[in-house]
Amino acid sequence: MIQIRDLKKTLNEKKVLDGLDLDIEEGMSLVIMGPSGTGKSVLLKHIVGLFDPDEGDVLVDGESVPNAGGREIQEIRSKISYVFQNSALFDSLTAAQNIQLGMPAEHCLKVDAHSDPAVAEAIRHVNLSPEVLWLHPAELSGGMQKRVAIARAIVGNQRYILYDEPTTGLDPVNANVINRLIARVQGEIGATTVIVTHDVESAFYLGDRIALLADGKVQALGTPDALRASDNPAVQNFLHPKFEEAAAT
Amino acid sequence: MTEWLGRLGRLGLASARHLGRAGILAIATLAALRRPRMYWQATLAQAKVIGFDSLGLVLIVAALSGSVLAQQSGYQFTNLPMWIVGSTVAAGMLTELAPLLTAIVLAGRIGAGIGAELGTMKVTDQIDALLTLGRDPVVELVVPRVIAGAIMLVPLVVLANIMGIFSGWLSAISLLPMTSEQYIYGVRDYYHPASLIFSLIKGFMFGITITFTACYVGLQAEGGAAGVGRTATNAVVAIIVSLMVLDVVLAPVYKAVS
Repeated sequence: MIQIRDLKKTLNEKKVLDGLDLDIEEGMSLVIMGPSGTGKSVLLKHIVGLFDPDEGDVLVDGESVPNAGGREIQEIRSKISYVFQNSALFDSLTAAQNIQLGMPAEHCLKVDAHSDPAVAEAIRHVNLSPEVLWLHPAELSGGMQKRVAIARAIVGNQRYILYDEPTTGLDPVNANVINRLIARVQGEIGATTVIVTHDVESAFYLGDRIALLADGKVQALGTPDALRASDNPAVQNFLHPKFEEAAAT
Repeated sequence: MTEWLGRLGRLGLASARHLGRAGILAIATLAALRRPRMYWQATLAQAKVIGFDSLGLVLIVAALSGSVLAQQSGYQFTNLPMWIVGSTVAAGMLTELAPLLTAIVLAGRIGAGIGAELGTMKVTDQIDALLTLGRDPVVELVVPRVIAGAIMLVPLVVLANIMGIFSGWLSAISLLPMTSEQYIYGVRDYYHPASLIFSLIKGFMFGITITFTACYVGLQAEGGAAGVGRTATNAVVAIIVSLMVLDVVLAPVYKAVS
């Protein structure tokens, strides 16, 4: 379980998170949505310890992430996979070597990535052909890069998978493919999933629960149906933005 | 006046911040050395890039500088015996030109490359990705480059010395009124083991300076493609300034030792 308590963070003199509280239960698929610049990605980076909060705490299975030392933070990160917005694949490595990085370092030293059964299984999960394993990221399309990044996230069987804007930069067809892939992976692996997106369609498709972030806080939290029916002005503004407000975000 | 003092204060703070961060990175790099299994393969790959791939350029620059040194000393020292040309080339190459010019060539070729590569990795979240994957960017990226730089600069400087003295000889016997025997006599007259050892120590230290500075500057990158461009430029500038400062510091050390 991931618990976020009174999280506050200011970046470039802008209050990004302002006393945010959120519980992410085991096995849940939680979508965090909200306008651009409301701290969704910042929140994810706090969960994995890439950012330290100004105030508040993030607990992963009861262990405080901000207060974790070198070894403890490694322990916490070993439970979490992170799919970055731009895939963050390593240019100098092949797809197989990129995927294998999701496994423990000791395993990577012993087993060649291109003949690693775990890598082959991961690439099968994301519907890519084995030939892709020998290609470098520059030889892959944006959608394929995203799938390799997802394969890297699932290869180590981590308990938590965090997706940061997984469909950003993709055309609608590829975005749909990635959404279906995330849903299928969630069904097959059963990991606790946190997906950050500003795409309403993706949010309602992927989330068991949806949290709407605005002004540094969770403004609404509930099932997709509950959110659709909500008369919370923040929810309605986000789901049915007026042109002037949409332009402002 | 107040504005000027403010700028000076900000510059001082920024310098102190960079020194502090570089110190932390240096300590992390030293601490990471105890895990050779994690970086030896990457070190070999980097050694090829830094050493073998730079060899041609280093030899060309050494050959040209040896030739210029021989010609200029031959034209200037008209009232001295001609064997002094051999001594001048040997002294110039061993103490300054071979290590420094090799280092400056590598600052442009390797330093800019490392700065841009690590800068790109930083702005495209690859460094963060390494952290979330439980990998240490210092072990994976910094240590292999610094070790490869330290090791490969030594043979590069040896070869630059040989090439510079050889091209100096070629220029001397073909363009100046002197014989091979005079040139060789001059080289032997100057040469002593301390000068060669000093040359190699300089190469070793310059190798660390180039790669460590490039890694540090690269890891500070921010701001997308423009930021990466700035980082590559900053890396080369920072390396060349660091090399010159180190060279000035090492000069009296050489005098004291020799």
